[in-house]
Amino acid sequence: MKDWFKKGEHWIWFSASAVSISLVLVFGLLAMISYKGLIHFWPHEVYHIEIQHSDGQKEVVVGELHDSKIKEVEDASAPHGKVEVPQYLIKTGNRDVYGIDFRWISSEDVIGSMDTLEKDVFVIERFEYGNVYGFIDSVRVDGQVFNDPLKRVEVLKTQVEKGTDLNSEIRHIEKVEIGAINYKIEGLRLEEKKLRANDEFTAEEEARLNAERAELQKAFEVYQAQVQILYKDSRALGEVTLNIAGNHQLVVPIRKIVHFWQPNNMSLAEDIGFFFNAVGNFLLDDPREANTEGGVFPAIIGTVTMVMLMAVFVTPMGVIAAIYMSEYAREGTVLRMVRISINNLAGVPSIVFGIFGLGFFVYIMGSSIDELFYSYALPSPTFGSPGLLWASLTMALLTLPVVIVSTQEGLSRIPRALREGGLALGATKSETIMRIVLPMTMPAIMTGLILAIARAAGEVAPLMLVGVVKLAPELPLDMISPFVHLDRKFMHLGFHIYDVGFQSPNVEASQPLVYATSLLLVLIILSLNFGAIMIRNRLREKYKSLDN
Amino acid sequence: MSEKNISVALDRDHRSLSLQDEKVAMEVKDWNLYYGSKQALKEVNMIVPEHRVTAFIGPSGCGKSTLLRCFNRMNDLIDIVSVEGEMTLHGDDIYAREMNVASLRRRVGMVFQKPNPFPKTIYENVAYGLRLQGINDKSVLDETVEWALKGAGLWDEAKDRLNENALGMSGGQQQRLCIARAIAIKPEVLLLDEPTSALDPISTLAIEELIFELKKDFTIMIVTHNMQQAARVSDYTAFMYMGELIEYTDTDSLFTNPSQKRTEDYITGRYG
Repeated sequence: MKDWFKKGEHWIWFSASAVSISLVLVFGLLAMISYKGLIHFWPHEVYHIEIQHSDGQKEVVVGELHDSKIKEVEDASAPHGKVEVPQYLIKTGNRDVYGIDFRWISSEDVIGSMDTLEKDVFVIERFEYGNVYGFIDSVRVDGQVFNDPLKRVEVLKTQVEKGTDLNSEIRHIEKVEIGAINYKIEGLRLEEKKLRANDEFTAEEEARLNAERAELQKAFEVYQAQVQILYKDSRALGEVTLNIAGNHQLVVPIRKIVHFWQPNNMSLAEDIGFFFNAVGNFLLDDPREANTEGGVFPAIIGTVTMVMLMAVFVTPMGVIAAIYMSEYAREGTVLRMVRISINNLAGVPSIVFGIFGLGFFVYIMGSSIDELFYSYALPSPTFGSPGLLWASLTMALLTLPVVIVSTQEGLSRIPRALREGGLALGATKSETIMRIVLPMTMPAIMTGLILAIARAAGEVAPLMLVGVVKLAPELPLDMISPFVHLDRKFMHLGFHIYDVGFQSPNVEASQPLVYATSLLLVLIILSLNFGAIMIRNRLREKYKSLDN
Repeated sequence: MSEKNISVALDRDHRSLSLQDEKVAMEVKDWNLYYGSKQALKEVNMIVPEHRVTAFIGPSGCGKSTLLRCFNRMNDLIDIVSVEGEMTLHGDDIYAREMNVASLRRRVGMVFQKPNPFPKTIYENVAYGLRLQGINDKSVLDETVEWALKGAGLWDEAKDRLNENALGMSGGQQQRLCIARAIAIKPEVLLLDEPTSALDPISTLAIEELIFELKKDFTIMIVTHNMQQAARVSDYTAFMYMGELIEYTDTDSLFTNPSQKRTEDYITGRYG
């Protein structure tokens, strides 16, 4: 044993166990959020549960089993003085009727078994009020009522498909086409304001603007007429009447239906299809119902755009600073102070960066920009309010130390002989840096950028102050020039997690979404990093024989 | 290189040479160099003859590399170095205030102890100096690269792999590539700082032959630790010791009949 210690074996064991604990934690974390997040998309079976309340009243509960926990009840006759009573969380849906989606049921109240599957039950996902669990009574289209069990499902299916098409058409026209017209009309309004402010608002300008406006108005009316027709069509889709638990009847207009399915009658293949469909909807849809339903597409776009912009800002800033510090600045007190400041900057809490971003970027820089270039739009701010540009810049500032430090490390690794080789051929110092040193430092710069991306994509606190919102009406990226709208507010997955998980009125419903969004955020960070790592490896390959 | 050239390179006769008869490429007058307060070169005076090979020998730390790096102002890169004296290249004062260091280094090329090709293709390595001067004409570049690689005796080995990374070459090839890179910009003087010390004997021989060929076009100065090498390749040899130029004469005389006791002690191996 003494020998064992002498050899230092225990240190090896210590480090090995530290490594394994970290690995277990990482994989445990990933496994948990993957499981909890993905299970949300799998079709849940719907159970039929009969319960009897303490007052003797009987009730039937139909819903999905989402969670269970053990409640300990004091009981003197039991062996340990306590009895374990399982409690079940049931999603009953039908919020518009019951008022709540989820309810806890104690196993004490259940009559019979917990795992009786409800036969031929339908689940309908709606655009509003969440899911419906129930049995189709009849489908009514154009005054015609379908009661035949097979026929009514078929009719419902075609009508829902029609509804989906109509809805996406309406959304396309409203968001893209009419959105573009509104954007242009707003542009004209600002142009007029600008001309007036500069005293250049002549009669012919007025005529031109009015003509353009009239044209846009005409186009707008055309679209609006189209939308009206589509709305009328969608209202004419009919409605479905369902019998739901508790002897209620619920009438659902077909245009409000996202889709419907029969979870207890589905084969494995159908389950898998449903799963992928649900994942796809989650990734590509807009959020609904205060973010607790629907997808996270705007948040994905917001996160990725912000991170990319951050990379665009931080890389040149960090690299130039590092080059100055390690190639040009003279060693001395000043440089030492600068180094200390940079290292300390990395330790500043991120919310402080948020405050700085709000105070400096938004209020000072943004307002100045507005006064200088967008004064015609005042008092409504253009850059003087939180937005994508300021969020990216704040993040760039936050990650700047990482890029500076790793670039400096990379610069210090370039052999002196290579710099001298460049200089000896008649290159100036800056030419040597630009043509020889900097390309070889690229792998180190990429390392810095990878770390910066990892940090920036996961950071939420400062963003809440400088541009992230719960629900952004427009994407920061679209097809209208200038394509990237730096002044717009945007959604972010990290903030989305916080908002859905802790700020939503329907905590139970949103919990799986929190996991799913977390998983997505991790995956996005991983893939951004993976891309950067691939680039770095390619660069390393290029310069690899340099090390020997 | 052919057998014949090798024998020529090794059997040369230096006897007819005399510094007084040579055209002057570079001249050094009362040259002193200090690292901070420490004097590294003391009162060096010498004439470097044109189109000849001048070798610098001496024990480690004698200042021969430091002196060599003065000829293209490579010492400027070290903050604590200060110099005094005069140094001219074909009559131009190279330490004059108006002298452009970058253009001086185009006139005085340098090859270092360790091969230091850039992590680029072979072609781009040789073309680098030209591109720096803003020459991007493909035909000019092609021609010069071929000429330089031929001049460095590397054309036959490299012509089929011009677009491969230079770092994939052997050490000897890399050093010849560095020579090709240096001569591609057609300098007047070529400084070689122990060019073979990191190479194997066969590569060393190739470089030595090359030096003999190159002196037709360039004035060459070489620092070497290897006295046999100095004897083989150079026309004139300077022996330095403790920052002083002890003896400087044609190579034959220096090795067969040194006039200074310290030179004799060094070449007979009593120290160094």
